[in-house]
Amino acid sequence: MNRDSVLTPMTSSIILHVEDKADYFGLVLKTRSEGMVMARPEGVTSGQQPSGSGGPGAKPILLREQCDLCDGEPKCVRICPTKCIKAVD
Amino acid sequence: MFLANGRAGVIDLSSGEVSEQGLEEGLLLGRQSSLEVAERLASEHGSDSLVLGTGILTGSLVPAACAGVFRGPNGRAPLLGHAGVELKLTGFDFIVIKGAAPEPGYIWIRDGIIEFVPAPALKGMDSWGRTDKVRDQQGDRKIQVLSAGPWGDARSPIAQFVTNYWGGEDKAGLGAEFGRKNLVAVAFRGMGEFEVSDAGVHFESCARLRDEHISRLGRGEGLASFSKAAAREDFRSLVHRDSACFGCPYPCRSFVKVDEDPKVMALASKEPGYLHYDIVALEKAHSLGLSAREATQLMTKCARAGVEPCSLMSSGPREGFEGLLASPKEVTPASKDLLDSAWGSAISDRRMNEVCLGLGLCPRYWAKATFDLGSFGPCVESALGRGLRTDW
Repeated sequence: MNRDSVLTPMTSSIILHVEDKADYFGLVLKTRSEGMVMARPEGVTSGQQPSGSGGPGAKPILLREQCDLCDGEPKCVRICPTKCIKAVD
Repeated sequence: MFLANGRAGVIDLSSGEVSEQGLEEGLLLGRQSSLEVAERLASEHGSDSLVLGTGILTGSLVPAACAGVFRGPNGRAPLLGHAGVELKLTGFDFIVIKGAAPEPGYIWIRDGIIEFVPAPALKGMDSWGRTDKVRDQQGDRKIQVLSAGPWGDARSPIAQFVTNYWGGEDKAGLGAEFGRKNLVAVAFRGMGEFEVSDAGVHFESCARLRDEHISRLGRGEGLASFSKAAAREDFRSLVHRDSACFGCPYPCRSFVKVDEDPKVMALASKEPGYLHYDIVALEKAHSLGLSAREATQLMTKCARAGVEPCSLMSSGPREGFEGLLASPKEVTPASKDLLDSAWGSAISDRRMNEVCLGLGLCPRYWAKATFDLGSFGPCVESALGRGLRTDW
């Protein structure tokens, strides 16, 4: 799973992003407790509104629901083909 | 109708007319569905039509359900990466492209809309420039762009269409069809959604099947899991990351960098790099004595120009490759046997390839995972509310 386009409809709180050239990637999760969490190779940041129209802070994140962890069993973790998403306390 | 839009979009480039036609569920569920339907549409609209299509399982949660198909007069090629799924999410299961445009331009498909966008400035540009330009014009970096660069414009028999920036899927000379139709690109973006019959069962059955595959296949090594050419030390030293298509747990693509430290992943990185997928081209390059770095540089140039690299490398001594790339010439395609082996030595069952591709599944993955319709029956039935035809 390495794009935000096909597994994350507008009702999803998670966006994956990949720059084709240079093979750069990132992930944005809209949470209830920490606001926006942005994870990328450089590290994790939270509580801020990512900016930019082409990157992981693309506008549709504003329209999405906050993550409720699927009532304790996050489906994104279960279905991630490469097991790159983990749920931690 | 589950997992399908139930319609094909048709654009006649000669007249500019755009229309839609319905597709019956029975047709979409048929044997080798996308291949059969593509041929049927081509026979209906003219054998010189190009047909882009998707399988009934494309975009489902069945492992590696990433594939679409591009059918031309002289052959077909898979649409992998995220192109197949994005195409299906545009609102069309198939797109038929008829005639030839009076001026250069690209087809732009999204949200159930097909239009021709005049773009004479893109003619002559390389495929990377076209992808960047289309994405800039339409304001979305996630648009999928098929184009064939200047070699496609020149209708070279060894032109290859490139998906966004990367080549390897087109071994049928489909790139030349872009030139014949005066098309500089075909672009699409999928923002739709699909219903499945029982989402909970589909999710769980597909996750279980995927887990079973992963436990059996073990840890993948990208392209090196499929070809010794990518297991060489000089290739491994260039690998930045392995990359999977939609829904694939066992990546078969390896992204390499030749000028920057491949171990660094940062937004500040400048080198475009190259996504290796084309096993036969890499093996051909190595057989000619090219290092992994030299092979990557050559294949990058081929992707930008819209050239099928095996054919280029079969056309003469390696010293002449740069000269050939500089301007499209009449170069004979490589042998059919070589091009037909594009899926790699792991796949020898042509029929299985076609069944997989027709369903929307990646043949390269399913050759590794062992294709067995019974193994994913619950995944299919929960998605479609019925089974597939089994008379194949």
